[in-house]
Amino acid sequence: MEERRLQQQINEQLFKKLQLAYFCVDKSMRVTCFSKNLRNYGYDSVLVGAEIEEHVDFMIGLDAQTELDLPMVESPSGTPVAVSLLPSSGELTVLISDASGHAEQRQLLQQKANENELLLEQQHKLMGQLSLASKELESKNQQLEEASRLQTSFISGVSHEFRTPLTSIIGYTNLVKEDLLLVSESEPEVKASAQQNSEHLRAVQRSSKHLLSLVENLLDHGKLDSNEIFIRPKSTDLAELFDDVALLLKPLSDSKNIEFKLDIELTNSFMAVMDDSRLRQCLINLVGNAIKFTDQGSVTLTARLADESLTISVADTGLGISPENLKKIRLPFWQAADTGKAGTGLGLTITERIIELMGGDLDISSELGKGTCVSFEVPAPMLLETPIGECSTVSGSKVLLAEDDADIADLVAMMMSEAGVDVTHVENGALAIEALRDQPFDLVLMDINMPVMTGYEALEKLQESKNKTPVVILSASSIEADRAKAESLGCFDYLVKPVDIGDIFQIMNRVVDQESL
Amino acid sequence: MKKKKICMVGDFSVGKTSLTQTFVNNVFSDKYLTTIGVKIDTAIIGDTKLIVWDVAGRDSLSPINSSYLVGAAGIVLVGDGTRENTIDDLSIIWDTVKNRIGEVPVVVALNKADLYDWSVSDQSYTFFSEQGWDVFSTSAKDGRNVEEMFQALVEKITN
Repeated sequence: MEERRLQQQINEQLFKKLQLAYFCVDKSMRVTCFSKNLRNYGYDSVLVGAEIEEHVDFMIGLDAQTELDLPMVESPSGTPVAVSLLPSSGELTVLISDASGHAEQRQLLQQKANENELLLEQQHKLMGQLSLASKELESKNQQLEEASRLQTSFISGVSHEFRTPLTSIIGYTNLVKEDLLLVSESEPEVKASAQQNSEHLRAVQRSSKHLLSLVENLLDHGKLDSNEIFIRPKSTDLAELFDDVALLLKPLSDSKNIEFKLDIELTNSFMAVMDDSRLRQCLINLVGNAIKFTDQGSVTLTARLADESLTISVADTGLGISPENLKKIRLPFWQAADTGKAGTGLGLTITERIIELMGGDLDISSELGKGTCVSFEVPAPMLLETPIGECSTVSGSKVLLAEDDADIADLVAMMMSEAGVDVTHVENGALAIEALRDQPFDLVLMDINMPVMTGYEALEKLQESKNKTPVVILSASSIEADRAKAESLGCFDYLVKPVDIGDIFQIMNRVVDQESL
Repeated sequence: MKKKKICMVGDFSVGKTSLTQTFVNNVFSDKYLTTIGVKIDTAIIGDTKLIVWDVAGRDSLSPINSSYLVGAAGIVLVGDGTRENTIDDLSIIWDTVKNRIGEVPVVVALNKADLYDWSVSDQSYTFFSEQGWDVFSTSAKDGRNVEEMFQALVEKITN
């Protein structure tokens, strides 16, 4: 007994030195001894003989055989303690030590680590949401692109359907008009009737051309939206181009009793490397607009070619544009409500975009009631070599025409025959291949959409058979993909209907010149 | 009065301390303060004195210290309903519990039910149901289902 008391005293002193508190329990979990400093941790009701579960909460559920380390348990005093349960000979000694220093350090580190991990989780979650949103946007974008593609395809389909009959209407009207000119040399009565008919035909022609330009504007707008308009520079006679524009639009200004003035100064050379058809389109749009919105006075087209740069301005004495409308005028489909003039509202938008593609900027200045001036400057590199085809002739050439539309075929054949060209007409690609096997031709003019065998298929066959006869496509489609497809199949050139017969002759001259080299 | 030890276990920052404080002291704080080691609280449900061990959360570096689980009569598995990974981790935590103290009564608290971005998958619900565990969508913030969840566990323990 004395020995046990002595041992306890030694333990007390040792534990005190080590800042340890303790208690012991027997098998029945009743307290057999405890250190006085136990109360420092808030365990102040512990008594010898008492059931430990009544006074120390962390002992609940444990027995005298449990050996366990419980690091950092929050004690009743609030101090974190480390608890060790040491069973021995049926008794259990429980050691309690202050762990506040370690706990504080751990708290700081763990807090930071957990906060960082939470931020990472949050970031990961946001990235996931962002990726999902991005995928949704991508899918919507694809749907929109598909819708836009369908729209362009629809417009191009419609324009194709319009172009083919319009080619016939415009071409045949021309032929009839020429016939009428011959009639006008005869008797006065016939002459009067012919003049009247000629007027009617002019009206038909005007309306047809207007319809064609509306269709082309719609098509161009769709193509600009999908970046399908390309500038194709080639040798261009600017003097001829301005004359053409004047000839085309003069009747319009005459009909409104407006003076149409041309002020052209083309120094050095008239020939420049430009996309003549797109430049022509811009000039027709701008001058046409000026005439449309001018009821008295004049419209002046000024052109200056200097230092490989072409400066154009179109000035009118028309209605003018208010500052408010001047801001909206470049928007597609926009038209001033108060002018009462018809149109698609696309002409200026398209013109501006084409000028941008040619490397220029459209400038518009206007004063309400006094008039408007639109101007732009585009690069116009000079052509140094002699234009191809000037001295060549098409007369006597043999041309194979593959065209399923009988009206267009007759029209082209008639105009070419007049120039002394020997034309053989077939209705589809298969017959064209057959004809080329039977006899040689200088040139093939080929439509794309034909029954039995399309122009594309025929081009493919010709490529396979290594036939060298140049093929010029006459297509109603001005879609870039169609042109590219034909070019990849080896076509010599690609013309869009309604085709100018002069363009065909120019190509024929190129073919002759190339062959003679 | 019977005394029963239960342990709150789950990943860090799922709201174990908040649920305990809401239940025991009816207080809630938005501020996140990570628990180190274990905090012990008591509450009375019927004729049972519940000794609630709020065990430090599991994180990617340190697993749950299973020594704290010894002597527990029941377990509250706590997940954050807005963090799917914390719910997926409950099965791993359950394995730790089972390996140390064997099968004991369990309830599941899917906490933070007051937040809008709830993301508990059907597979998780199926898993809990297969284990025979009662699942509570709790909010330590507004108190929803907190008492019901503890009550359910006590009933499981005492029955």
